[in-house]
Amino acid sequence: MGISVKLDRVLLERGMSLTELSERVGVTIANLSILKTGKAKAIRFSTLEAICKELKCQPGDILFFSDEDGAPAPAE
Amino acid sequence: MRAIGKGSLASILAMGLHVMRVVIWIAFVGLSIAVVMIPFAAVIVGLLSGVDGVNVDASVSIDGGDYLEIAYYFVTAAVLLFIINHLLEILKTLRFGSPFVMENADRFRAIGYALLIGELAKFAFGFLSIFIEADVDVGLELITWIAIIAVFVLSEVFREGARMKQEQELTI
Repeated sequence: MGISVKLDRVLLERGMSLTELSERVGVTIANLSILKTGKAKAIRFSTLEAICKELKCQPGDILFFSDEDGAPAPAE
Repeated sequence: MRAIGKGSLASILAMGLHVMRVVIWIAFVGLSIAVVMIPFAAVIVGLLSGVDGVNVDASVSIDGGDYLEIAYYFVTAAVLLFIINHLLEILKTLRFGSPFVMENADRFRAIGYALLIGELAKFAFGFLSIFIEADVDVGLELITWIAIIAVFVLSEVFREGARMKQEQELTI
């Protein structure tokens, strides 16, 4: 529902662990898991930029939109 | 001046509130003793006036007005204690570094209602004192009403502040 963050697939493709990403981006693991679990209310452009830079991807590779009526987000 | 810690305004206020709380509790106990003793006042005064060398005016009359005044003081003391306790809780959240929480918005609102009840009780007792003669000071003070409104405004500001704080915490 709404915007969701899917980091797992890209992380797997890059062979990077969540801990490594956290260190590279400068965001705590706790905050990264808030992002992953969908509890986050917003994401700063600077955070998104850093994540995309480290994962060498586009925002669209990690952010997904699904309708409010529960249509599933693309599978990871 | 520092916002929190030793020597800060918050700690001075907290200390003042603690002292006020003790004083009001003493007044509360004093009033309670007075309520219990009132029926025996005439007897006590009578006994004292019977003792040689003690000069007491034996003509003591306690009427409904005195009870009304005591009831009014009870209500005032209760309202004051309620407000002081809530203010101390708000100051405690400030000391722990997180004053912008929904609980504080609710506390400010409760303080506003307490002030309102205290002020309305004054008028209620003033109205009763028409029938039972009592010395209850009833006056419409604009500053009090502005203060009540200010507390409610503060409550809403805290509510929005708490919401913003939560949003900020969940912005990664």
